[in-house]
Amino acid sequence: MDHFARLGLPAALDLEPATLDRAYFTAQRQWHPDRFVGRPPDERAKASTEAAGLNDAYRTLKDPLSRAVYLAGLNGVELPGDGKTIDDPDLLMEAMEAREALHEAATPEAVDALAVRSRDEMTKALAGLGTLFLRHDKAAIRKALLRLRYLDKFAEEARARRTNLQRVKA
Amino acid sequence: MAYSEKLLDHYENPRNIGSLDKNAEDVGTGLVGAPACGDVMKLQIKVGPDGLIEDAKFKTFGCGSAIASSSLVTEWVKGKTIDEAETIKNTDIAKHLALPPVKIHCSVLAEDAIKAAIADYRAKASKKDETREAAE
Repeated sequence: MDHFARLGLPAALDLEPATLDRAYFTAQRQWHPDRFVGRPPDERAKASTEAAGLNDAYRTLKDPLSRAVYLAGLNGVELPGDGKTIDDPDLLMEAMEAREALHEAATPEAVDALAVRSRDEMTKALAGLGTLFLRHDKAAIRKALLRLRYLDKFAEEARARRTNLQRVKA
Repeated sequence: MAYSEKLLDHYENPRNIGSLDKNAEDVGTGLVGAPACGDVMKLQIKVGPDGLIEDAKFKTFGCGSAIASSSLVTEWVKGKTIDEAETIKNTDIAKHLALPPVKIHCSVLAEDAIKAAIADYRAKASKKDETREAAE
């Protein structure tokens, strides 16, 4: 059973956090170990397997990027793993320039400005993904997800850079 | 995780950090990236009239192993011909730096980077030859 089906949700990119929370907590109550105290071992084992599966589903679907990557997998889009370089010169150029700019940003404000811009790009890219899924455009989905991974990584690096700059200031 | 002394040395004192003019005819640029971790690596070579690599620079945004791998490659390729430089294998890099298994992909990336830089240089050189022939 896939993560969406496990939570009784349609397999789609758009998912309100509140809807996901509700589906998760409802299902989690049903399989809570407390309800299986004193039940036969096979039922207890099933309950704990189900509960673990629900946690896994919730964790995967909660973050929009991880949800998109997972949905892409269900649609037969495979993302490259470790190893060979990605073959997308525009993305690499964009990533290199962004990381250089971040490296040169000398104040928390400068870092924030870059982070905001990259967050906007991320929101735009996620919004565009929906259409690509509807069109089943696998190559475009793959390209967009790789870019999102880089934007996500940039956000992480920007947070780290900001913390460092503040520490120096303090 | 224990890292080797050679790796730490390259990480703490990276060789040849910087950039060369990517539009220059005698400079080849390789830009590569690891899809899983979001690292990005630029490696450039400058080839002299004698066909030897006279300078190499790199810029890597990534983990220590990625930085050390690219730093080592710039050091290795200097003074070599591009044909020699092309034979550098990721396994040589990994072995020299004693990279842990989870970091082997960083050496793969560095090999990809030097290969890409060489390919870029060759593409420029053959274009130059064509223009020269056309002019004759």
